[in-house]
Amino acid sequence: MNTSAPLAVELRGITKRFPGVVANKDIELRVARGEVHAIVGENGAGKSTLMKTLYGMHRPDEGEILIDGRPVTFRSPADAIAAGIGMVHQHFMLADNFTVLENVVLGSEPTKGGRLDRAEGRRRIREISDRYSLGLDPDTLVEDLGVGDRQRVEIAKVLYRGATTLILDEPTAVLVPQEVDELFGNLAELKREGLTVIFISHKLDEVRKVADSITVIRRGTTVGTADPATTSAKQLAELMVGAELPTPQTRTSTVRDVPVLQLRGVTVSAPGGRALVDDVSLTVREGEVVGIAGVEGNGQAELVDAVMGLRPLAAGSIVLGADDIAAWSTRRRREQGLGFIPEDRHRQGMLLDAPLWENRILGHQTRPPAVKGAFIDRKGARADTARIMREYDVRAPSPDTAAVALSGGNQQKLIVGREMSASPRLLIAAHPTRGVDVGAQSVIWELLKDARAEGMGIVLVSADLDELIGLSDTLHVMLRGALVATLDPASLTPEELGSHMTGAGSTAGAA
Amino acid sequence: MNALRRIGLALFAPVLAILVALVISGVVISLIGEDPFAAVRVMFDFGDTPSQQTQAIVVVLNRAVPLFLAGLAVSVAFRMGLFNIGVEGQYRLATIMAAAVGAAVALPGPLHLLLIIVVAMAVGAIWAGIVAVLKVTRGVSEVISSIMLNFIALGIASFLLTGPLRGSPEGAQIITTTPIPESGWFPGLNGLLGALGLAQPRTELYGFLLVAVVAGIVVSVLIKRTRFGFDLRASGLSPSAATASGVDARGMVVKTMLISGAIAGLIGLPDLLGDQRSYGTEFTAGLGFLGIAVALLGRNSPLGIALGALLFGFLDRAAIPLQFADIPASVVTIIQGTIVLSVVVANEVSRRLTRRSAERGNAVAPPTAGDGSTGGGQGPDGGPPPDDGPGSGTGPGLRTATGQGGRSDQREGAGA
Repeated sequence: MNTSAPLAVELRGITKRFPGVVANKDIELRVARGEVHAIVGENGAGKSTLMKTLYGMHRPDEGEILIDGRPVTFRSPADAIAAGIGMVHQHFMLADNFTVLENVVLGSEPTKGGRLDRAEGRRRIREISDRYSLGLDPDTLVEDLGVGDRQRVEIAKVLYRGATTLILDEPTAVLVPQEVDELFGNLAELKREGLTVIFISHKLDEVRKVADSITVIRRGTTVGTADPATTSAKQLAELMVGAELPTPQTRTSTVRDVPVLQLRGVTVSAPGGRALVDDVSLTVREGEVVGIAGVEGNGQAELVDAVMGLRPLAAGSIVLGADDIAAWSTRRRREQGLGFIPEDRHRQGMLLDAPLWENRILGHQTRPPAVKGAFIDRKGARADTARIMREYDVRAPSPDTAAVALSGGNQQKLIVGREMSASPRLLIAAHPTRGVDVGAQSVIWELLKDARAEGMGIVLVSADLDELIGLSDTLHVMLRGALVATLDPASLTPEELGSHMTGAGSTAGAA
Repeated sequence: MNALRRIGLALFAPVLAILVALVISGVVISLIGEDPFAAVRVMFDFGDTPSQQTQAIVVVLNRAVPLFLAGLAVSVAFRMGLFNIGVEGQYRLATIMAAAVGAAVALPGPLHLLLIIVVAMAVGAIWAGIVAVLKVTRGVSEVISSIMLNFIALGIASFLLTGPLRGSPEGAQIITTTPIPESGWFPGLNGLLGALGLAQPRTELYGFLLVAVVAGIVVSVLIKRTRFGFDLRASGLSPSAATASGVDARGMVVKTMLISGAIAGLIGLPDLLGDQRSYGTEFTAGLGFLGIAVALLGRNSPLGIALGALLFGFLDRAAIPLQFADIPASVVTIIQGTIVLSVVVANEVSRRLTRRSAERGNAVAPPTAGDGSTGGGQGPDGGPPPDDGPGSGTGPGLRTATGQGGRSDQREGAGA
């Protein structure tokens, strides 16, 4: 690496902790001026946390940030912008009913005599657009633009504020392949003009195509850098996934013959009619863990919602045991033996401001020990919460503690304990170990294995490839709403799974 | 110690709010050239004779009963995150219908009363039900539709009063419905006062007080102890978690609004059955909006609402003595208004304190951002908690039956 010129961005030993989780640990990052630097890692590896640190959205607990060789402290994104760092978010932050001009200048408007100076804004946007071949017309309404154009508006917004280092957070997730190529063309322009681009992705082929250098993050820390010219996608994937990690291996097969859940042609449509879940058929038998792999946003969440009755089916049937439950309410499904560990425990799994014993009742409002007839059984719920805390190692002072006081891992153990306590026939576990510390992770893995041994059917949706391969008896890969491959986890490497997930060989995975 | 701390936190917000409101009101009174301490003295002066003192207490209680019911109606909806601003229209329409039905039939005492109460609750529930149906079928915000329905309800009430249900003779100054016969009067509680060894006041203590107490207990049990109440509170705390747990969100909206409306239907009955005997142009207005303030003040707990209602009743009673002391009665309105504003602020402060103290409970903070994959949800900036719903600015203009204080000034403004 060229050491004569100061690095555009250098991070030294960045550590960022959240309660119960170390999101980033000893991050080392060296980005040279005028390069496209990719940061790759699995979902939840800590890429977003790192970028938030670099963009001033929170401060690191340890470590140093150097911009152009000078140490800096960012108290807010405004400080980062002032230092020439701009962020293009994955989800666009544009006002649809404003023109390109208005969106770009919003927040740093050129004024003349206290009024918006449109002519000046228009001139500067044209200048930026021409210089970097963004092809933007300042007076078009954003609502008339396609996704690729909107992304270029976001880029223009950042450039307009004088950014010399651009962070692009998963920029290709929302683009179709042609748009991805256009974006890469734009990035090349930016590079030619001497700007630095930090490109976050988990799509290895794209990264190798566009990046000048690559830093790999795994489990919150940087595990190495790679030269895309000499590193294969397989080697990158190995770096990303790691081989020495304790894997959640299951023991002998416990799969029985009786099916607990059968999905036949399950289809869920978006309001526009596009299929979010496309003709999915699968069977879960007693004692079987069926894993569903896929890049986030390929319909897994919608499939889970459909099984839980939180989203209407456009077509297909869901059979639990011998009953077609497609027309049942969520409550009835739960009563009849569906357990649910939701993907986002704060949104779907807990009442944060309520005490633990009330959270014990949640989802089990109609069954003992939580209720007696039409009334809440406070004593029973408290006692059973205490039991769950004991048996599932939930560390909290008492059942009366508010759920918000618990760490993510303890919250998740409570949810797992609660769902297991109802002895469901089928458990939907969506990202059961996401955002929990390593200790809680292995506890949860053990619990899932025990439940499987006792004959529970489990649908495991996860982004953790180790978890999927280690726990699953059968593994389906979901891409654009459809199951595209069924794999045998016994003879599968994370790299192979990864290439199936991104649709390598067929088409690139899109969101 | 834990319980003490919890009670302390629960009382902190309303007490702080009342203190702030008193200071602001004191400043305002000074600014208009009056002595704030004199005003306070007048407000606390319940009279010299025992009879006058009981009279003052009865007036406060009689005003507090409908305010309590109004607060209760609002709070039930608040608990699941619904903002029922339509209580005003619900009770006005319910009262005129109940008055009409009560006047049209002659039944033995208890049955007659029961019929009137059932009619009032049904009308209130139906009117609130419209809001719920619009919300679950068409996605109309309950704030908007309930405000709109207020105007419609008041319009219908006026039409009925001047048209088909008019009971007073042509040309009378005050238009009323036909009075309810004596079998439909709710007996007063002055006998009870006598039994307690208190002097007899001039006016009857509303017997409806007992109904209000029962309603408070029923609502309290319903919300805190039943499965239905759990579903309701869960929906208020986190609609997404409630839905995932199997709560039928649409059904809950309808049921909650029906309950809220049914309670709202009771608001006019203490005055109707205890004193007025008919609905008329001078019938107490504005209780629905004051109910929002009372519910906020009481932080949606029936006990708190009762205290809030007593406070507002107390302030309301002070309006007449203040005028005798040459201090404008609108001082009361100022105090009530500032209380509402400060309560909204204080509730938020208290909520944060409670949350912080809860978080310290286990020496670990909640995972606010996590590793970027657990964001959203009920973070500190998640959905609005039920006990400090959208800030409401209501200009309480309570028009009492005695017609004092000149023209009433009723503003219907609700910021959401």
